[in-house]
This record gives sequence, C-alpha cells and structure tokens, in this order.
Amino acid sequence: MQNKEKTSNEERAKGAELNIVPLKLRMRPYLIVAPALIITIGILIPFVMAIYFSLTSYSFRLPTYVFVGLKNWIKVLTSSEFWHAVWVTARYAFFSTGIAMLLGLGIAMLLGNVNNRFSKILKVTLVFPLMVAPVIGTIVWQLMLNNSVGIIEKFLNIFGIYNFPWAASTSTAMMTAVMIDVWVNCPFVIILVLAGIQSLPKSPFEAAKIDGGSAWFNFKNLTLPMLKPCLYIALLFRLMASLQEYAIIFALTKGGPGDTLMNLSLTAYNTGFAFQKFGEALPYILFLWVCINIIAKQIVKRQRAAQRLAAGKEAE
Amino acid sequence: MNEKGKKRLSAVLKNAGLAVYAVFALFPLLWMVLLSFKSDAQMFTTTFIFEPTLENYKIVLFQSDYFRFFLDSIIVAGGAVIVSVVAGVPAAYALARYEFKKKEDIAFQILSFKFAPEILVVLPLFMIYQKIGLYDTYFGLIWVYQLISMPLLIWVVRGYFEDISMEIEHAAQVDGYSWYQIFLRTLLPLIKPGLVSAALLAFIFAWNSFTFPLMLAGTDVEPVTVAALKYLASDTVHYGQMAVAATVSALPAVIFALCIQKHLVRGLSFGAVKG
Amino acid sequence: MARKILSVLLGAVMIIGMLSGCGNSGNGGSTTTAPETTAGEPATTGDTATTDGFDWRAHENTTLNVMFNQHTYADAVVEKLADFEALTGIKVEHSITPEENYFDKLTTSLNSRSGTPDVFMTGAYQVWEYAPAGYIEPLEGYISDTSKTADDYDFDDFYDSVVGSLQWDLIAGHPVGEGSQWALPMGYELNNLSYNKRVLEENNVEVPTTTAELLEAAKSLQEFDGSGTYGIALRGTRNWATIHPGYMSLFATWGAQDFAVEDGKLVCKLDSPEAIAMTEYWVELIKEGGTSQWSTYTWYQAGADLGAGKAAMMFDATCNAYFQNFEGATAESGNIAWSTIPMPEGKTEPKSNIWVWSLAMNADSKNKDAAWYFIQYFTNKEFMQFSGTDGSCADTPRQSVAESDEYIAIVGKAEGYLESLEALLPSATIQFTPQPYFFECTTEWASTLQELVAGGKYASVEEGMKALTAKLNSTVEDIPVE
Repeated sequence: MQNKEKTSNEERAKGAELNIVPLKLRMRPYLIVAPALIITIGILIPFVMAIYFSLTSYSFRLPTYVFVGLKNWIKVLTSSEFWHAVWVTARYAFFSTGIAMLLGLGIAMLLGNVNNRFSKILKVTLVFPLMVAPVIGTIVWQLMLNNSVGIIEKFLNIFGIYNFPWAASTSTAMMTAVMIDVWVNCPFVIILVLAGIQSLPKSPFEAAKIDGGSAWFNFKNLTLPMLKPCLYIALLFRLMASLQEYAIIFALTKGGPGDTLMNLSLTAYNTGFAFQKFGEALPYILFLWVCINIIAKQIVKRQRAAQRLAAGKEAE
Repeated sequence: MNEKGKKRLSAVLKNAGLAVYAVFALFPLLWMVLLSFKSDAQMFTTTFIFEPTLENYKIVLFQSDYFRFFLDSIIVAGGAVIVSVVAGVPAAYALARYEFKKKEDIAFQILSFKFAPEILVVLPLFMIYQKIGLYDTYFGLIWVYQLISMPLLIWVVRGYFEDISMEIEHAAQVDGYSWYQIFLRTLLPLIKPGLVSAALLAFIFAWNSFTFPLMLAGTDVEPVTVAALKYLASDTVHYGQMAVAATVSALPAVIFALCIQKHLVRGLSFGAVKG
Repeated sequence: MARKILSVLLGAVMIIGMLSGCGNSGNGGSTTTAPETTAGEPATTGDTATTDGFDWRAHENTTLNVMFNQHTYADAVVEKLADFEALTGIKVEHSITPEENYFDKLTTSLNSRSGTPDVFMTGAYQVWEYAPAGYIEPLEGYISDTSKTADDYDFDDFYDSVVGSLQWDLIAGHPVGEGSQWALPMGYELNNLSYNKRVLEENNVEVPTTTAELLEAAKSLQEFDGSGTYGIALRGTRNWATIHPGYMSLFATWGAQDFAVEDGKLVCKLDSPEAIAMTEYWVELIKEGGTSQWSTYTWYQAGADLGAGKAAMMFDATCNAYFQNFEGATAESGNIAWSTIPMPEGKTEPKSNIWVWSLAMNADSKNKDAAWYFIQYFTNKEFMQFSGTDGSCADTPRQSVAESDEYIAIVGKAEGYLESLEALLPSATIQFTPQPYFFECTTEWASTLQELVAGGKYASVEEGMKALTAKLNSTVEDIPVE
C-alpha cells in the first residue's frame, strides 16, 4: 500500500513538473461525484416533460391534447390570481423563513451558551417538532386552536380572549399558517446552527477573552462571521421550502378563507388536480422554479464567499 | 455584587427564554401523545383530566396494518438516507477538496433539485414510473426520495469538509496512510457532528414526505405518513387513532436523535487541530 | 456502542422488512383462493354452478385492482372481500386513500390509461369529468346481459333517484337521469337538519320547520352552554364539498338554479333574486348562529361538534350525524334526532341534493368482465343487506333492504331518521346542472361564500353573487351544449 501511494506522489510530482495533471487524477473528482449526479440527473426528465406539457392543453379530462404554444403562459401571467399568488408566496416565505431564522439563531445561541441539565435535555428534544409530519402537525394545531374544543382556546379564555378566529379569518390566517410553519421548521435551523456552533474553534474566543471584549462584540465580530456559512445553508433550505410550501396550507385552510393563502403551489395544485387543467397549472410552478433558481444562486454565491472567509480566518 | 447580580439575571433570562420556546415547541407534541390515550367520546369534552384508554393503541397497532406501513416507511426512508450518504459523502468530499471545472455548477445542479415543488415533478414521474415499472416499488420511492435527502446532505457535509484544513490530510499522508484510510480514520470522525445531523434531518424529511408516496405508491408500498391520515377519519373523526399513528411513527427519528445526541450536545472542545 | 446497536437493529429490521414486504401483495386483503374456506361451504348468492349461462367462477384466477376512498362503505366491502374471492376465484388487490387526496390519485391513475385500477369508487359529479374523457365503462350492457349478471340481481330494486343520479347522456346542461349507467351505488347521502334533542329541550326551542324558525333557533342557541358552543354547524372550507350538502339543498328548495341552457349556451343563474336571497339567508345563519371558525369546518368538524355537544344543530349529510349517534361513540350519542329541510316562505316541496358513493369500471381495464363481477357482487341484495345492517351503511340504495325488518330495527333507533329519508328521497336528485367544469365552478362558489361571510371584499351579497356569476360565465363559455 505504501508503494502505491509513493507512486502516485511521484506521479504528482512529475505532473507538477510537467504542468500536466495525469488523467487518473483529473478524472477522480468527476468519478467520485458521478454516483450522486446519476441518481439525481434522472429526475431531469420530469422537468423537461413538465415544460413541454405547459405548452400544451394537457388536461386530465380531455382524452388528447394539442400543442398551444404560449397560450397557457400568457393566460396565467396576465391573470390577477397569478399576481395575487406571487404576493401571498412572497409574504409567507418572508415571514416564515425570517422568523424561523431569527428564532432559530437565538435559541441555538442560548443553547450553546447555557450549559445546565435543562439545556442538555432541550438540545435533544427540541428536534421533536420536526419528527411529526407537517400535515399531522397542522391537524393537531387545528384541534388545539378550535374555538369549541381546543385547549389553547381554553387557555386564552383565562385571559378573557374568546373565539379568536386563528385560521378562519382573512386577517389572522396568514399569521396562523406562519406560526405552524415556524413551529415545524425552527428545529431545522436550530440543529444546523447548533452543529455549526459546536465546531467553532476555541482559540479566537480565548484570545478575545484575554482582550476583554463584550459578549455582543464577540458575537458580531467572531461568532457571526464564522457561523455565516451554515446560516446561509439554513436560510437557503428554509427559503426554498417555504416558497414551495403547500402541505401545511392545504391541511389548514386549502388556501382560504377566500384567497388569503392561495400561494403559487396551491393555486397550481387547484388548477392542475382539482380543476384538471394541468397545462394551465404548470406555468405557476415553472415560474416559481425559476424564481427559486435565481434566489438560490444569490444565496449560494454569498455562502461560498462566507465559507472561504471563515476557512481563511481559521487558518490564522 | 452588582456583577454577580447581573450574571444571575442574565442566566435567569436565558433559561426563561429557553423555557418559553420549549413550551411552544413541545406542548403540541405532549398534547398529541395525550390525545392518543383519549377515547373518542371524551375527546372534545375533557382536557387534562380524563380516563386514559389503550383502545386507540389496540385499534391502530393490532387491528390494522400499521406495522406494515411502519416497515415500509423504515425501508424507504432508511434506504434513501443510506443511499444519500454512500453516494453523497464522497461527492461532498470531491466538491470540497478538488478544484475541477464546473465544480460549482455541479454542486448547484445537485442543489437545484430542491427547487422543484413536488407537484411539478409528480405527474410526469407518475407516468414514467408506470412505464418503466417503478410505480409502487421500494426502489422507485427510494430513488425519488434522493430529491429530498441528497442535496441537503451534500451541501452540509461539504461545509464540514471545507472546515477541515488540508494539513490534517497531508500529515496523515506523510504518515503513510492510503486515501481511504485517511478518509475513514481521520476525516469521518471530524465531520461526524455535521454528518449525523444532516443524516438525521435527511431521514426526517424523507420519513415525512407525503406527496411522493401518495402518488407514486399506494398498494404494495405505503409509508406511514399517508397511512396516518387514514386513521383520522372515515365515519367520524378519530383524533386519538391518528395521534397513535403519528406518535409511533415519530419513534424511529426520536431513537436516531437520542443515539446521536452526544454529537448534538458536544461542547466546544472540538477544534483542537485548528490552531 | 449505542450507535452500533442501532445500526444492527436498523439493518435487521430492513432485512426483515424486505423479506416480508416482498412476498405480500395486496393491502391486507387475503390473496389466497379456494383452499382457505371450508370445503363445500355454500358461499353466497347463486352459487349453483351455472344458471342460465351465468357462472360465478367464469373468471377465476384473474386479479383485480380496486381503489377505495376511506369510507365506511369501503370498509364494508373490504370485510367481505374474502367471501367474494372464495366464491369467484378472483383475486382482489385494493388500496384505501384518505378522501382529501383520493380523487387526485384516482384522476392521475385513470389519465395514465394503464388499466389500473379496474374498479374504483366515485361520486356522481366526477362522472361529469371522467365519462366525457372516456375513462368510464358504461354498465347498462352488463346489467342486461343475462350471461353476465346473476338472475337475482334485480336492478329495479334500486331507488330511482339513487341510480338515476348516476345516469347521464354526456351533454352539458342535460340533467341526470337519462343516458348511460356510469356507476352503481354503494350508498347515498341526502341532506337534512339534525339536532340535539336534549339541548333544544333544555332551552325551550321547538324543532324548526321553516327557515325563519331555523334562524331564530340558531340565534337563540348561540353560546347555549357558554363560550365555544353555538347554534348550527355547517361546512365552510374552500372546497366544493361546502356547497353541495346543506347549502345546495336549501338553494334548490328556495327555487334557485345554478345554470340554465339558453340559446345553446350555459348561462349562470347565480345572480337571480332567489339565489341572492338564499345566500343572504345562509350568510346570516352562519354569522348569527354558527361558529366563528366556520371557514375551516369540514364534514368531520361539523359532525364532531354536534356529537360533542358544542353545536345544537347541524344541516348536513344524513349519515354524518348518524355516526355521531352511535352508542358510546361520542358525548351526545343517543341525544341526536333528525328532521327534514326547513322550508323557505312560500315553498312546500323540499328538494334535497343527493350524493352517491358508487362503484365504476375503468374503460381501459383489461379485466372488464371480472370487474363487472366485482361491481355486481358488492351491489347485490345479499351484500347490501349486510352493509345496510351490520356494515353501518344506513343509507341503503335498495328498497328491499330498506323495507327489511333487520334494517328498520337498527336504523329505526335513530329518531326521525327513516321518516326524513322517506320524505326527502322521492324528490331528491342532483340539484346541480351537469357540466365538466363542475369542480372549478363550485370551488369558486365556496370561495365567494367565504368572502361574503368574512366581509370586506364585497359591499353586499348581491355584489358578490354578481361577480361570481360573471366569473362562472366566462369559465363555462367554451362548453358545447347541444
């Protein structure tokens, strides 16, 4: 075995001399990545099919379909439902991701900071909300918030609040959906950030202690920059998921009351499955996909930069 | 005294903050477990004081196919995570260590599978799966679940690899270890916290997936998430039974989490190598 | 150490799972045939080998795939699957899907034209979409073919209004009752008023028989037992299911219509004076006598509230309250009674809407004759006698079952139930106008209703209904009407 390694080292040395990287080495990363790619690339076919179908009059109720070009796209992009859905999607994603990130960061910091039995138990149990499927979690919350039989209603009654509508009124439905979304997904942020905190190097903090900086100073200039890579990842995944969110809202109100919670996913679902007009439903989701693509690129760019920065800092 | 007082106050506040969040996060779960012991008749008329019954458990666990659903879920979600780890960790390593053309593009490509709402993919996939015979099979679902588990795993683990300085690897190489020995003995332990956390999350997301098993399976393969809703209602609504289904179905993830908890709670002792 | 144990455990479980999962096909249904049953058991209907060319075992060793919606009707069928398999030698694989998702899955399956499922559960409205698309096999040919149907099947034993709801001639605007028989009924639902006897008595409220009385009663019963209790439970989610039970029944009784055929086109009539008046009434009923969370209420929440003693009355499907009344099932079981539809002023004939869960055959099925045997078996007299009594399907589509002593003994215990069915069944029919965009239109309708109750978007019910009419008119404008 040692011989093998020595050989490749020699090879490497030689390659460095000649400025050529031997094929075996050059191909290696691609080969390593290949399995992952192959597995996921198969999924590209449905994407392409979906794009194709969006240009047709594909509908479950019609035995055949015809190519209609951009008709579906034009119809969708000029409809008020579409822009309303965009607005709902944006609001929902903004609030649920924002609150989950802030809350998650805060709780993770607290957990990293406080070190008693309570926090140790919490570190494990705080994951649990994630383990209940979001649909079921929503159903349990609905039961708790019910005005007639819910436990939270009874709790609120103590404070003199009766019949709070929660998901049933246009003004409070969004907040209720966001609350449930945060409940389900905040643990995700907590885990990621906590793991990130766990792997922070000690030395900068020890140095800072000697220098005598305040906690806030430490946080802003030491912790935060080094946490940024994993914060960006959490942000990325949370944002992508909440832009597409459909299960929670569907289980909660199916998009109601009225049109309050009809985001892009739900409108597409309605149009495609409930109304059978599949060709017309696809533009909604394809549009969503493009938007997510653009947003994700931006976040990834920043994540890579933060990663490089953090790695650089640690090498000091 | 003032300094001490301040410290104590801040400690109290911190613990209080944690406590408030803990109630928010855990109360619904406790409530759900409570529901699993309530009979239908007392479901809506009692809160904390009631006659507990094991009837719901009996009906769900012993008088229905619950264990079959549960097993299906384990096979599909567990299988998906294993595949993701086996294919994904090396990929993450390659994406972290090597510089090669299109590296970032490939990484982004893998990530982009998370962009698609499930609804977008489900109908074409349904048609394809029916044609190639993957409909309603374990393999078919495990493959689709890669959409959910692989991107997360690769991106988180890649971050951990990048955090490890090259020095360690060079040091081990100098010592004469082969690349896979380095990988297994040196690198893996270092990325363990990230790997198990990501694996846990990937497992949870795969386990909880609803749309894919609903549309792409249903007779032979039926994970617990779809099945749990069956207990909810047929004639009347049976929150108790659904609660049982949900509580029991959360157990694997709970056990998984408990087993890796030392990675979740490890203190800041790690980092010894990083200067 | 723990991790090692865990991984071994997981591995073992997976292996066991794969081994057990591999051998088993079919969701809990028995897939064995003859050997299981005691030899010579005179199984069920018409077992004598051949009667006039009809033979129950003509298709043995075929395998059928059946899709069910989660429902007691399905449970009753699943309970007797073993009997069917023993009698005919036909294997049945089935799946049960929760109602929320059932039709999505069904439509996707039918659309793929793969032939799976062979038989599926459906309702009447779905026929308006599936039949024109060519997904359903018409059944009248099978029913009248004596070599394919047992002698004692007795098609005329079905109530006209029930089977009639499943007949349609595929022309938008033509009412149900004529045309091909697209499916056969497993059970039906009418809509009427159910109420809690005890609560009404304690509050000195008479059972309302007119709409005015109903509104008064609902108002006076608000918070009859403190906060959280209210007058009347109604469905309210953003879904077609909100419109079709109580609302549509009262709508039709009020003399309103959803669409009419004028000049070869479908014209929406939701802005007629009757439609507006009825909707105004309904909105008031919800606001003054309903729950504040009405817009999140489905069949289940409405029924559960009645059963839990939180709602004094309910205007919904007949069997919804029936299940709540089962002994020991809920807090208020035994206290629930039924009445018919409260009449608007000047009207004398109640017009309940009807919903029929039924079995239909996939037009692309590769086992049509075997599939017919399945449908036939589970809609014949003997099975329906079972489902109507032990199977808890209180709304039986067969007259012979409804008139049997057994049935009357069981269902008669529900106070006012049978009387209500008797009063409503003759005039019950699908009160909607058949057209393929039914779901889209009715979902918009539900959404508008929600907005009217929530307030803020429209200045008046009239404005809302006019906006809805305009929208629906544009939705249906491309439907060809003969």
